[in-house]
Amino acid sequence: MTDIGMILQKLGGTLVGEVVPKLEGDYAGGQAGMAGMMAVMAGEAWDGAADRLYREVEGMRALLAAGGVEIKTQPDSFKLSDLNAVRNTLADELIELQTRLETADDEASKALNTQIWGFLLAGAAERMPNPPQFEEETS
Amino acid sequence: MPEAVQDPALAKAFAAYAETRMAEASNLEVTQLARIHGGASRETFSVDIAFDGPNGRETKGLILRKDPPDSLIDTDRKVEFAAIRSMTGAGIPAPDALFLEPDQKHLGAPFFVMGRIEGGVPVNPFRIEEVEPHRQAIGEQFFRHLGSIARVDPATSPLADEIETPSPDACWKRELDYWENEIDTNARAPQPISKAAIRHLRRAPPPPAQRLSIVHGDYRSGNYLHDGAGAINAVLDWEMAHIGDPYEDLAWATDPLWSGTDMELAAGLLPWPEAIAIWQESSGCTFDPAAFEWWSIFASVKAMGIWISSARAYADGKNDDPILAWSGWFTHCAHELTLASRLAPKYGVEMPS
Repeated sequence: MTDIGMILQKLGGTLVGEVVPKLEGDYAGGQAGMAGMMAVMAGEAWDGAADRLYREVEGMRALLAAGGVEIKTQPDSFKLSDLNAVRNTLADELIELQTRLETADDEASKALNTQIWGFLLAGAAERMPNPPQFEEETS
Repeated sequence: MPEAVQDPALAKAFAAYAETRMAEASNLEVTQLARIHGGASRETFSVDIAFDGPNGRETKGLILRKDPPDSLIDTDRKVEFAAIRSMTGAGIPAPDALFLEPDQKHLGAPFFVMGRIEGGVPVNPFRIEEVEPHRQAIGEQFFRHLGSIARVDPATSPLADEIETPSPDACWKRELDYWENEIDTNARAPQPISKAAIRHLRRAPPPPAQRLSIVHGDYRSGNYLHDGAGAINAVLDWEMAHIGDPYEDLAWATDPLWSGTDMELAAGLLPWPEAIAIWQESSGCTFDPAAFEWWSIFASVKAMGIWISSARAYADGKNDDPILAWSGWFTHCAHELTLASRLAPKYGVEMPS
């Protein structure tokens, strides 16, 4: 089987639906519930993870180029670890660029900073996992 | 069914220790010991003890808070203990602070012991509607107790003996410096949103604190108990208590994540004007929208510091409790989105209506 997302979601369902009830009142029951819930979330996130990272990398590269920062680093592959490594390099550069823009008075800098904030907001919304159905205390 | 005493070795060691601390108790035994889920900042156990006392065979319910290998929040248990003691006589329903033990020879780690609040029900921040039909009554008490904590004189409190007291104009900087350092030290990836938020806060500091207060530090839905009949009977989790600006607590208490994401009601409990009026009356502070705005953004930065530290502890194998993974993922994403949603419009981004 290669459908990792489906497997994670079903594992989560087994933990929450079958294991947790047998551990009611035990600390391990809470841990199993939390693990099951996150397995379901991970299953949902799995399918889009590489695509989201790829678009994040491309978005940051475009913003940096608009700010006069050219980063030629490319991911070695579409493995999540490679995409994450490039994403982190670009994010460090983006922090530096935004810090510079915030101290500039010209309209072009303000406009680019607005674009960066739009990108950051959109990325945060995209990364937000779907709210799971809570079966366990998370406080 | 779980065992009544889930960890016999811990129970035996605790019984021996408790008997030395309770002068009028003998033949003390632990009859129930169970770890409580949640509260990953310390390992928390509910304990029943039985002993021969002045009135014959007696029983008592206790809460044991023991330091874990790593925790969500790196604080000194002495501070938590002193903060709870500081609430004595202030009308705040805090547990009795009984024993503080810094020596790890007894239970393998430092710990402290509180009296257990019987009949208390926690509120899940994601299911605040479960307090109905007592939402109004709980909300009024929630903001009255919050204001009452701010009114306690920190200078004469036990907490002042344990921690530094900042000047009114330095409260914001001390907190922001601390949490920025937590983020920088523990982040496993660059944090553009948090760093931009921190720069934003530094460019426009808040006004000096109207008064120096005891700040609970984690006052929110999830950290109080109610009796199911409309009364809050315990304010818990004082491990982040410090002396500072009372707006820090007000902003944290009303953060969207603890409010059932219902920003129409302050803390998911009361209409905003009513909540603010109660807080003003009980705290003696005057509501300042500019200060509240600053501390509300700060609240999300502080939350990011906690979630990032949690993720680091989990990834490094210092603490395998899944709640740290949850904190490092879901709540991290939630507060990142909160920060971006608050700040992006200030920099010209048009938000969807």
